[in-house]
Amino acid sequence: MRLVFDRGTLLLADLPAGFQAGALRGVLWDARVGAFRAPARLAYALASELRRRGVPIEAQPCPGLAPPSGFRPFELRPYQEAALTAWRQAGRRGQVVLPTGSGKTRIALHAIATTRTACLCLVPTRVLLEQWTVALAAIWDGRVGQFGDGLRVLGPITVATFASAYRHMPRLGDKFGLLVVDEAHHFGQGTRDEALEMSIAPLRLGLTATPPAPGPAAKRLGALIGPVVFERTVGDLAGRYLAPLERITWRLSLDPDERREHDALWEVYRRARRAFEGNHLGGSWEDFLHGAARTDEGRRGIAAWRRARRILAFPRRKREALALLLGHHRSERTLVFVADNETAYRVAREHLIMPLTCDVGRGERQQVLARFQAGALRALVSAQVLNEGLDVPDAEVGIVVAGRLGEREHVQRVGRLLRPGAGKRALVYELIVEQSSEVRQSERRWESFAFRARSAA
Amino acid sequence: MLSERDLPLRLIEERAFIDFLGPQDEPWLRVLLAEMARFEGRRRRELAERLAEPLPCEAPYFKRRAATRALLRLWRLERADASAASSVESATDGAPASGARPPRPVELRAQLFAEAAARDARAATILEEAAARLGLSRDGLVDALFADLPGERPVRGPDPEPTAAEAALRTNLAIAQAVLMRASRVELRVEGGVRPIVRLAKLRGLLCTIAETADAPRPVLEISGPFSLFRHTLLYGRALAELLPHLAWCARFELRAACTLRGRLATVALESGDPIFPAAPPVCFDSRLEERFAHDMARLAPDWDLLREPEPVRAGGTLIFPDFLLRHRLHPERQALIEIVGFWTPDYLAAKLDKLRQAELPACILCVDEDRACAAGELPPGMPVVPFRRRVDAAEVLRQVERLTRSADSRAA
Repeated sequence: MRLVFDRGTLLLADLPAGFQAGALRGVLWDARVGAFRAPARLAYALASELRRRGVPIEAQPCPGLAPPSGFRPFELRPYQEAALTAWRQAGRRGQVVLPTGSGKTRIALHAIATTRTACLCLVPTRVLLEQWTVALAAIWDGRVGQFGDGLRVLGPITVATFASAYRHMPRLGDKFGLLVVDEAHHFGQGTRDEALEMSIAPLRLGLTATPPAPGPAAKRLGALIGPVVFERTVGDLAGRYLAPLERITWRLSLDPDERREHDALWEVYRRARRAFEGNHLGGSWEDFLHGAARTDEGRRGIAAWRRARRILAFPRRKREALALLLGHHRSERTLVFVADNETAYRVAREHLIMPLTCDVGRGERQQVLARFQAGALRALVSAQVLNEGLDVPDAEVGIVVAGRLGEREHVQRVGRLLRPGAGKRALVYELIVEQSSEVRQSERRWESFAFRARSAA
Repeated sequence: MLSERDLPLRLIEERAFIDFLGPQDEPWLRVLLAEMARFEGRRRRELAERLAEPLPCEAPYFKRRAATRALLRLWRLERADASAASSVESATDGAPASGARPPRPVELRAQLFAEAAARDARAATILEEAAARLGLSRDGLVDALFADLPGERPVRGPDPEPTAAEAALRTNLAIAQAVLMRASRVELRVEGGVRPIVRLAKLRGLLCTIAETADAPRPVLEISGPFSLFRHTLLYGRALAELLPHLAWCARFELRAACTLRGRLATVALESGDPIFPAAPPVCFDSRLEERFAHDMARLAPDWDLLREPEPVRAGGTLIFPDFLLRHRLHPERQALIEIVGFWTPDYLAAKLDKLRQAELPACILCVDEDRACAAGELPPGMPVVPFRRRVDAAEVLRQVERLTRSADSRAA
């Protein structure tokens, strides 16, 4: 009998007469091609199950790329060693949960170097694609393959964005023996899970700072990558391995003109919202947008809501506070987090600090990060690019001017500042407008962070 | 592709109905097009901000969102270098300092932000000094800083500007494709022009099979991907959606797809006549070789009609798509299928012939390129084959067809 890789699946060919392949877990009859088929991720489990049942296997898919070799040695911290050991003991399948800045990537690099099989690293963004490529090039002399950001280069170690992996896994799925999944919490919710299901790789390592709460997503992630095998929180690592964190919240008022305009706009919005809710009790935000667009009052309400939000994103007092803080922390490396690219450019123009947005090209982004690291740039402003995974060493001060994406975004943003340094104490300023929706948003963000950090912050 | 949030749909029980845009939507579409035209030459970010707000007239929310996104794709960004150059030129009143090349925005950013980090001076002072040094106005320098980034680049409308009716058709296509993006498989009944659809589907890595409705008047194709077997996956949605505009060139089609919409599985039906913007017309011939053969045959056999890509033929559980059907005009029972085979092996030809025999076709001729044999070996005996090099011999094909169809006639007699 043969197991044949077919575009992210396995075809069971030349079955022994009378063998009931349909009874095997995950195997289904595919009437379209007249053969039994299974998801590629079951390749090794299926082969061992078949052997256990005494079925001889003439051929089965195995990683099509030669294993990489020639890694330069590097040290791990004790907890990183412990994480790696836990992963190995779990059969080299599982997730490692560590806070941002604690060196998850190094654990993965060590796993790649010691596992000696072709490896595919999956990352959520193009920025991280580049960052992983650089990190791998630092420990390995071979050419790192890349799928994403316009590149399609295959190598024994390849880095791919989630989107590219999803699209190309039908042909990449039989090439690798190890899958490393950075920011693994993106999987498990059904979206793009196929990228993990269509690979034959038996060895899998997931990395995340924000694992999904127990529930279906966590269970599914466990099936696709493996269970959580190691977990440390900010509280566990703060002090020696993560910088201690100080939070300062500035409650700012709108100036009278802004307050008047904001409240007037908010009232227009609330009127439209009340009118909608009168007829649609419990209606969702999408329902409201749908319904409101049908009336003049509703349309005005939507426009007013957008404008009110724009006022809160960067009002005069936030601008003044930001100028004050940037002046005060001139000598420290500072990250400014805003709600959108437009505000990032405004901040950049007003304070002459470099914006790092999705619009900034790869070459310029690399130069900017290098200059920031070298101290030639003292501050960066960003809406979302700095939110996840990007390695920004040694930033001491964070200023959260505004955010949009909620609690997970906040945990990731604060994590940018926790990378340790001699005598470093990370400082996070949060600018919120009092008597506005930002107050509640801020409370929720820090509640979530405190939950994840378990008292450390 | 449009996001699910932008789709004008009605979900009734287990079926989804697309609210296509029609003539009733043209008044607000004209307003939308006029609003977009107002932003010609302005920053893309400004256009996007404007379009995020309601129109000054009543417009159905989801239809308007879908139309906005579909039309926005037609608006092009000015090239980064052109945009940056014009921005710097306007900042210098067209005369850069000392006749030197005006600095590019990326250079401006590198200089200015590094200088601001190095000096203990106010941003305004640094800006003014830099502007004076570069021969720019202060505001011009600020404007030029990000002039090359996508959101800051001016937009140019399409030429010619779409009419409201065309905008409606384009939006409908975008909506229908976005719906199919959420499908795992589609069921298709097609008449005329099946072959390009099957070819495109296979090119996209999809599986095409005939559904179990043998008595259906038209072949029922089921198009899906290998992984669709296991669950409702959206992995093949893009490939399935790409088929849609090409269906417009089929004589008739009916498409049914189960799609995940608003969190549940619903069946969507599309058919000929739905107001969807078509793809570019399919090419008449797959190759120059086929085109020359058709031309030669037309000259050589005035009493015979050569039909390109005739209806597919069922053979076992699959469909065969012959290249041509040659049919006598006065005696239509005298007809033969003709296939032009590129790369081949004797085994491949034998299997092909076997399939054709299964289909119990009266006559079939394979034209085989002698230069493209992929394996050594003789052709299977008794095979109606016309070998060729560079050009198919239409006269020889005609002779073979006449011989085969005459003998079929005599057998019938």
